[in-house]
Amino acid sequence: MASMDRQQECVLRTLEERDIRFVRLWFTDVSGYLKAVAVAPAEIEAAFAEGIGFDGSAIEGFARVYESDMLAKPDPGTFQVMPATKGGPSDTARMFCDITLPDGSAAWADPRHVLRRALSKAADMGFTFYTHPEVEFVLLKDLPTDGSAPEPADNGGYFDLSTHNVAHDFRREAVFALEAMGISVEFSHHEVAPGQQEIDLRYADALSMADNIMTLRHVVREVALAQGVHATFMPKPFTELAGSAMHTHLSLFEGDRNAFHDAADPMRLSSTAKQFIAGILTHAREFTAVTNQTVNSYRRLLAGTEAPTAATWGRANRSALVRLPSYKPSKVNSARIEVRSPDSACNPYLTFAVLLAAGLRGVEKGYELPPEAEDDVWSLTDTERRAAGYEDLPVSLGDAVAAMENSELVAETLGEHVFEFFLRNKREEFASYRQNVTPFELRRYLPGL
Amino acid sequence: MTRAEVEVPRRAVVRLARFGFDDGERAARLLADPALGLWDLERNEPADPEAGPVVAALARAGDPDLAVRSLHRLVEALDETDGSGASAAALLAGLRGSGLLRSRLLSVLGASSGLADHLAAHPRDWAVLDDDGDGFPAGADGPSARDLEGDMLAAVGADPHDPPWGVRLGKGAPDASPVRVGALRLAYRRAILSLAGRDLGDGLSAEDVAAELADIAAAVLTAGLALAVAEQPESAAPCRLSVIAMGKTGGRELNYVSDVDVVFVAEPVDPTDAESPALSSATRVAAALMRICREAAWEVDAALRPEGKAGALVRTLSGHRAYYEQWASTWEFQALLKMRPVAGDPDLGRSYVDALWPLVWKAGDRPGFVGEVQAMRRRVEANIPPAQADRELKLGRGGLRDVEFAVQLLQMVHGRIDSSLRVGGTLPALSALSAGGYVGRDDAATLSASYRFLRTVEHRLQLLRLRRTHLLPTDEQQLRWLARSLGYKPDARGSAVDVLQAELNLHTREVRRLHEKLFYRPLLSAVARVPGEHLQLGSKAAGDWLRALGFADPEGALRHLGALTGGVSRSASMQKYLLPVLLQTFAACPNPDAGLLAYRQVSEALGGNQWFLRLLRDEGQVAERLAQLLGSSQYIASLLTRTPEALRMLAGDSELEPRTAAVLAGAWRQAAGRAPDPQAGMRVLRGLRRQELLRVAAADLLGRLDVVRVGHALTDVAVATLQVGLEVARRAYAVEAGIDVAAIPADLAVIGMGRLGGREMGYGSDADVLFVHRARAGANESRATAAANAIAHTLRRLLGEPAPDPAFEVDADLRPEGRQGSLVRSLDAFREYYERWVSVWEVQALLRAVPVAGDEELGEAFIALIAPIRYPAAALTGEQVAEIRRIKARVERERLPRGADPATHTKLGRGGLADVEWTVQLLQLQHAADAPQLQVPATTDALAALAEAGLLDADQREALRSAWELATRARNAIFLVRGRPSDQLPRPGLELAGVARACGYGPDTDPGQFLDDYRRTSRHARAVVEQVFYGRAETGS
Repeated sequence: MASMDRQQECVLRTLEERDIRFVRLWFTDVSGYLKAVAVAPAEIEAAFAEGIGFDGSAIEGFARVYESDMLAKPDPGTFQVMPATKGGPSDTARMFCDITLPDGSAAWADPRHVLRRALSKAADMGFTFYTHPEVEFVLLKDLPTDGSAPEPADNGGYFDLSTHNVAHDFRREAVFALEAMGISVEFSHHEVAPGQQEIDLRYADALSMADNIMTLRHVVREVALAQGVHATFMPKPFTELAGSAMHTHLSLFEGDRNAFHDAADPMRLSSTAKQFIAGILTHAREFTAVTNQTVNSYRRLLAGTEAPTAATWGRANRSALVRLPSYKPSKVNSARIEVRSPDSACNPYLTFAVLLAAGLRGVEKGYELPPEAEDDVWSLTDTERRAAGYEDLPVSLGDAVAAMENSELVAETLGEHVFEFFLRNKREEFASYRQNVTPFELRRYLPGL
Repeated sequence: MTRAEVEVPRRAVVRLARFGFDDGERAARLLADPALGLWDLERNEPADPEAGPVVAALARAGDPDLAVRSLHRLVEALDETDGSGASAAALLAGLRGSGLLRSRLLSVLGASSGLADHLAAHPRDWAVLDDDGDGFPAGADGPSARDLEGDMLAAVGADPHDPPWGVRLGKGAPDASPVRVGALRLAYRRAILSLAGRDLGDGLSAEDVAAELADIAAAVLTAGLALAVAEQPESAAPCRLSVIAMGKTGGRELNYVSDVDVVFVAEPVDPTDAESPALSSATRVAAALMRICREAAWEVDAALRPEGKAGALVRTLSGHRAYYEQWASTWEFQALLKMRPVAGDPDLGRSYVDALWPLVWKAGDRPGFVGEVQAMRRRVEANIPPAQADRELKLGRGGLRDVEFAVQLLQMVHGRIDSSLRVGGTLPALSALSAGGYVGRDDAATLSASYRFLRTVEHRLQLLRLRRTHLLPTDEQQLRWLARSLGYKPDARGSAVDVLQAELNLHTREVRRLHEKLFYRPLLSAVARVPGEHLQLGSKAAGDWLRALGFADPEGALRHLGALTGGVSRSASMQKYLLPVLLQTFAACPNPDAGLLAYRQVSEALGGNQWFLRLLRDEGQVAERLAQLLGSSQYIASLLTRTPEALRMLAGDSELEPRTAAVLAGAWRQAAGRAPDPQAGMRVLRGLRRQELLRVAAADLLGRLDVVRVGHALTDVAVATLQVGLEVARRAYAVEAGIDVAAIPADLAVIGMGRLGGREMGYGSDADVLFVHRARAGANESRATAAANAIAHTLRRLLGEPAPDPAFEVDADLRPEGRQGSLVRSLDAFREYYERWVSVWEVQALLRAVPVAGDEELGEAFIALIAPIRYPAAALTGEQVAEIRRIKARVERERLPRGADPATHTKLGRGGLADVEWTVQLLQLQHAADAPQLQVPATTDALAALAEAGLLDADQREALRSAWELATRARNAIFLVRGRPSDQLPRPGLELAGVARACGYGPDTDPGQFLDDYRRTSRHARAVVEQVFYGRAETGS
């Protein structure tokens, strides 16, 4: 019998000390939905040793019926006691799981494994990958499912100091709950649209960060419900108001050195950083279906908003796909790039994996960084944009899926199993979307035609 | 130079060349130079009786020419520093008077150009070699670690009696100026010189040299710390710092030239202080120490610290402990085996060791521990550039690292329970393992001797130029230098270099068998008494080991071992000799348990047949190959238990070359003919076929055949079987009908179709055929038809009926009207049918028709008959193309079995065999009439021809070819692994791992990687099929 490692012992001790009654074992399906199996503390020891069996065919994209036995193996490093909701100590804890097959080998369908493989490729090249997302979402008074427009929970604006409203209490509770779960929150403020919130997570290695984002979505929804409102991570819930992005800052480290920094460069950008950005730009069309995976995502990626529409980069340019945030010269380790296309509805494991792989492909092949986009890309005509060599991002999910189909990079990164499932699933999603008659059509055509 | 003008008489040159100088003229000139005054050119002999031994000692040096040149340089250098000439005179007098000084100094000068250079620059340092001066007397103990530390501290101006323990202000050197660093460098070089003199001159043992080198390194670290403290007084004040040596320094087995591996641990002086300021101070001191040591002696390598180069340089004790408790991977514990505090605060160093030492002995409990360590070992070996593998003393197969790894692995596994094994260095650990009964006494002794030998060679090699190298030189002169400085003289084996090579081969051979000796042989002692060994491993310990080696059922394995080695027979004792090697190979196979079981079955099938065991014993590769095959393939195991004699074919590579159909048919015809009756003849034929299948399977699994050649070889076996089988069936008919074979009224030909026609059969393929006959001239047509039918039926029955040998299914379902049709048709009936009825899919099937057996002329007539049908001059109509596409689409939907995964179904799945073959065949039907080069039955040939004809572009051809080959290889691999056919790749598990290995994937590759590659390759092919076969436009942008 293999001995327990220390982290596992630590989990078992905490279960005892904190009088935990339920442990939720979390994992994520290919579409990015959080899945949970609840087990009693007594079962955890066995779960560490052998995993908890479940029927993989019940989970989107995991397995076909005939090979459906899968095991969820909790990762003791992710153990956290869940925040208490209505006073009193919490009796629930959670751990993220790695999914394995009955012979103990990793399931290639597990998004965590997809990211792990991408990270281990980076590690082979000597890099560790850090991310820092700014997660936007909207608080609503209600969640209508009949297709009518929802109502925002308040009407505040950017940096408004609302003295007493739902949003204020919500933010306090959400930050408290997240920090109680060991997730450092860097900043949270009211975004431009009514009801909109933003939570920045302090940078962490990509795997922990993806776990953190999954946790954040769960906690935010719970806290909102406790406040009598609803949270949504839908990319664009209102036609007129700004959508919910997940701008993501990325950096690579070689040991304790920031590989994106070069003091000698006029932009203080290393050649690694330039090649990485070039990789993101070159492959942007191919991975957009992953970073923006819903039909609704493409309502956000429109000209004239804060969202990118073409594969460009720039320093202060908020219309660019990749932006270089400024940082204090003394803070060498803050060198990073910001990718502005992902939205809050993405699967963070797959999103980080494709962004990393695209960037690393640029580094491996020594891609050349195209000139900086100084223009406001939105204000250009199509011809001007083409003349400037800017490649437009996909304009619909269908367009994005078609671009991804021909991408060897995305296939390699996701692995053939996930790649195939993802494409099939998104093709179906787009096909069923196309069957709908929209309010726009009714308004526009019904009276006149 | 005056010396150059002196005329050297020819006889002096000759005389000195005989002494052993290569350049006799130069040697004469230098020796005769008044500065040395050792040779009298006039008399052509040593200048005086005392000069004789000096010249002789020079001539004995590794490189006599270098020795004399260096001695001359040294004397000149002494004269330069001391104009009176007294110093040089003292040296020369010493050389004349002291045998010890002669031997040390002159062997150093002849063995090391690096140290000779040092002496030329610092001539007075020769005194450290002189027992009269600063040096050590003969036979005396060398310097203690304490002495060396005192010397180095004094050299940097620190107080040797108040060393910088605790790194507190005021106890370092007075300052850290470059002069003091220079002084440390010189002191270090002097210590090395002194050691080299005793090493070469007095013949120290390899481990004493290695230990003293480690002590010198520790002393340099201490003095370096004294300088670092002087440089960073403020940083040094608030922290305690300890330097822990790891690796060879820690194990006291250092080389002359090597990095020194360390880790740093620090604590605040006042335990109530915060840790982080103390850590940053300690980091500055440690960084200064590393820089100073680099300038003075060697690179300090701190990469073994937690998190490697990415981690903090210095950690607190609790920081280290937390890392090793939670995060460390197996090899990091292996590194801890040799840890030893060598400089800085001794109390802190001790606490470090005390805290981590117990953790080392828990690492062996971790799941997958042994596999992880062995995988690391394989990676190390794989990293050596192949051209260097034979010259690599340290990392190559049978090199030093092999011994070190094996010993550490055993220590970590058995040291959990047996604390006597918890020692640092390799040699002490080896003797502890031997004393504890984990390694046989003789094995331990030969290993220790080889280890010492390899270390000595390494020491000498590095001394030559004071370079860090583990590679044997290639050029003859350097090799000679090395061989001579190791003391080799020419003997019966050849020159000194030949003797060195012979010794080296001997020792690396011993070490290569190390894993067998250390890991496998002891296992047998658990089940049997091994003669001459006192070792007795308990069955519990043996079970632990077997499990660690990858056996899923150790009890079962021990039972097999017991059965194989039971009793006192000759076979049992040969098995005891053989099994360690076999176990080693089984352990590297995907399924060790099955391999061992199959081996037991084969052994038992052979009973007491000792030729088999002698073959295994005497032909080294037979045993290894056998074990590899049995551990990988159920198919081979099942064939071999029935044909153990076939083992012989594993002995030679030429035996593993597939035979052609003609050779096989010739040999089989005679053997079948010798049988008493046709039924017996068929049995003989089937047995011979089994042996050929075994040959192909073995060659395939041993990586000797690519997938196309496997197809050819299996097809040849099938063709020969059909040819000889048909003859036997004709005889059977003749016997039954009571007529002579020549009187049979019909000629018969067998037309190969499908994979048989394409020469691309797999292990599980049936033979797709058509039977065609023609009545002999004057024979009754219906009697002829009846005879041909009877013969074809007999052939199918006798080849396919259940028997001990594998059945060979002859499938004629592609004939006109399928199973409803007559098994055999006349040529005319075929013509009539094809003219009236032929459907598109039948035409498609005819594309691969090739006559394979029976009447050749008839076969050719059949081919001529179908030529206009299969290569129609008129283009396919749109309807016909649509028909083919429709059939294919229906096959995809309907023929795939329920529950099959189309992504991994090799035959009917996406991008599988059917996809590629239908695409090729459609193009052939469309274009082969115009482009005769397309008229080929084999898929890969057709692909090449299609690319050449411009009907496929290079990428399309490559996509189709690699998918077809991978699917074919995977199907063959499935059959070999399971012993049964399947078109579906297995689910993850043992079988998939076996299939991935049989497809050429390494043992460390995740089988999921194989699946991913398979799916990618087939996806690419499917995209081409969509375009070319289904005529769909390319999707996407």
